[in-house]
Amino acid sequence: MLDMTPQSRVEAFLFKEARLLDTGDFAAWLELYAPEGVYWMPSQPGQTDPLNVASIIYEDYPILSIRVQRLFEARALVLTPMPSTTHMLSNIEVEEGDDGIVRANCTFLCIQYQSSEQKTFAGRQSFELEPVGDSYRILLKRVDLVNAGGTLPLITIPF
Amino acid sequence: MDMQEIPTTDEIRDFVRPHQVHRRAYADPEVFKLEMERIFGRMWIYLAHESQVKEPGAFFRTRLAQYEVLVTRHTDGEIYVLHNRCPHRGARMCMVDKGKSQLLNCPYHAWSFRPDGTLSTVPHKQSYPESFDMADPINHMQRVKHVQTYRGFIFATLNEDPAPLLEQLGEMTDIIDNLNDRAPEGEVELSESSFTLEYKGNWKLHLENAADIFHPTFVHSSSVGAARRAPQNASKIDSDQTRVMLEANGFGVQQWEGIQLKGLANGHTYMSNFYSKGVMVDSDEDPVMAEYKQQLVAAYGKEKTIETLSVDRFNNIIYPNMVLNAQHQQMRITIPLSHDRTLVRVQCFRLKGAPDAMYHRAVRFLSTLASPASMIFSDDVEMLERVQVGLDRDDSPWVDFSRGLDIDQTDDTGAVSGVASEMPMRVQFKAWVEMMTREAA
Repeated sequence: MLDMTPQSRVEAFLFKEARLLDTGDFAAWLELYAPEGVYWMPSQPGQTDPLNVASIIYEDYPILSIRVQRLFEARALVLTPMPSTTHMLSNIEVEEGDDGIVRANCTFLCIQYQSSEQKTFAGRQSFELEPVGDSYRILLKRVDLVNAGGTLPLITIPF
Repeated sequence: MDMQEIPTTDEIRDFVRPHQVHRRAYADPEVFKLEMERIFGRMWIYLAHESQVKEPGAFFRTRLAQYEVLVTRHTDGEIYVLHNRCPHRGARMCMVDKGKSQLLNCPYHAWSFRPDGTLSTVPHKQSYPESFDMADPINHMQRVKHVQTYRGFIFATLNEDPAPLLEQLGEMTDIIDNLNDRAPEGEVELSESSFTLEYKGNWKLHLENAADIFHPTFVHSSSVGAARRAPQNASKIDSDQTRVMLEANGFGVQQWEGIQLKGLANGHTYMSNFYSKGVMVDSDEDPVMAEYKQQLVAAYGKEKTIETLSVDRFNNIIYPNMVLNAQHQQMRITIPLSHDRTLVRVQCFRLKGAPDAMYHRAVRFLSTLASPASMIFSDDVEMLERVQVGLDRDDSPWVDFSRGLDIDQTDDTGAVSGVASEMPMRVQFKAWVEMMTREAA
């Protein structure tokens, strides 16, 4: 492994997450999350409350694992045929907190292709990462879609 | 077949047989135009809830038939429904879904209107002719004449001479009452957050799907299977609500034969004995439910509380555009855009005076059922779109709704009961034919 700065180590981790989603290795993707880790995709721009305001996804590891199991189900209609995706991350900024938690945020673009139809999703992702060895576990991933609050297409593969 | 011809009244009658419906009911743009005129243009249509326009000046944008309308609260507290169009040059005025403003301004030439639609000011008034009358309704935002509210639910109709709202709602007022009765303060508020999904299919497909007890086993098998294999009570954030809800769609013969279906006049239907597990079900062991029940008993007494909570009715479909779930504090609204495009707006209710946790559960239910990333509704939407693709083709003209035809029971009020039946779809189409062939008032 190349010598890496904290910035590039976080970038490598985020790129790995994106690659696991693109290659359909959802089981390995799930294992990037801490047991108490949460994936949150708010429904509203600037949303601060996941309990009183509906979210597109607000799931901890056990619920996410059901979502991942479903991605492997042959009979999931909306996943037939399985969409293929390209997740791209950019503008990555990293900050190390005094609490030992690494906070990162970036912009993303995701192209999803299924049955001759191509969809584009974009927005910003922010992470709270717990350092483990020379890598990380995700405590919180927040995905803010650029079109949050609007009429959205179905979302199948996470971003 | 020539799809451009406007179907005659006789043809519309011929589209619906006792056990079949012609695909033109879904696939013909001319039929859709007639639906906008004769169903969405003549019947009372639910538009909004009073809690969405609490304060004077508050407005909510939605659709009534083919028109975009604003539901507004005037300074005197009255509710109005206005066409979202400036009477001056016809510009679409309001470009946001909701907001609050004492004046509605047209950005083109700055005519401004009060929340009741009357004209407040025009710039450089002295250049208008003497005949220009600010008080003339022709210079006002056009009002929908008939607007009525039932326990917080705002309905409007474009019909010049409508039948009474209560006559159209019939027994379905029971479920609106039940929803309000579930609130210790006797009122509900609609959630600010909602989901709006668009599917490429006819509006009737959503209502049929909401009354269909056979599809969950098949359409939702992927999430049922995944939930069944997942450990119980593993999540720290939702009291196992999501997993139980996903698992509950695994229907077998017990549900097919155990869920009671009811069909009423005007196309209304509902089902009883639907979900029997999970945090939204009445249980003394659950501390949130126990606290909530105490509040209800304090407000209404024990007997009334038991009566209220025992109402176990799911997917109460108030034809032609509402699906109400009182027990789960949920509502879905069907908004037709064209014969093959429909919006579904999904919202939940806060029971005023109930513990916050009850509302958090309603919000979780909303997300699990109807978010764009839902593991349930996404598969429904996929199926509705595949049906539309099939119906858009000319191959075979008839859709089958025969299940249960020989075993449904009709009582002397005309209400139909059934189990394991496609009766709700037949009830919807009976009303559809009546509305589509009725002479204009």
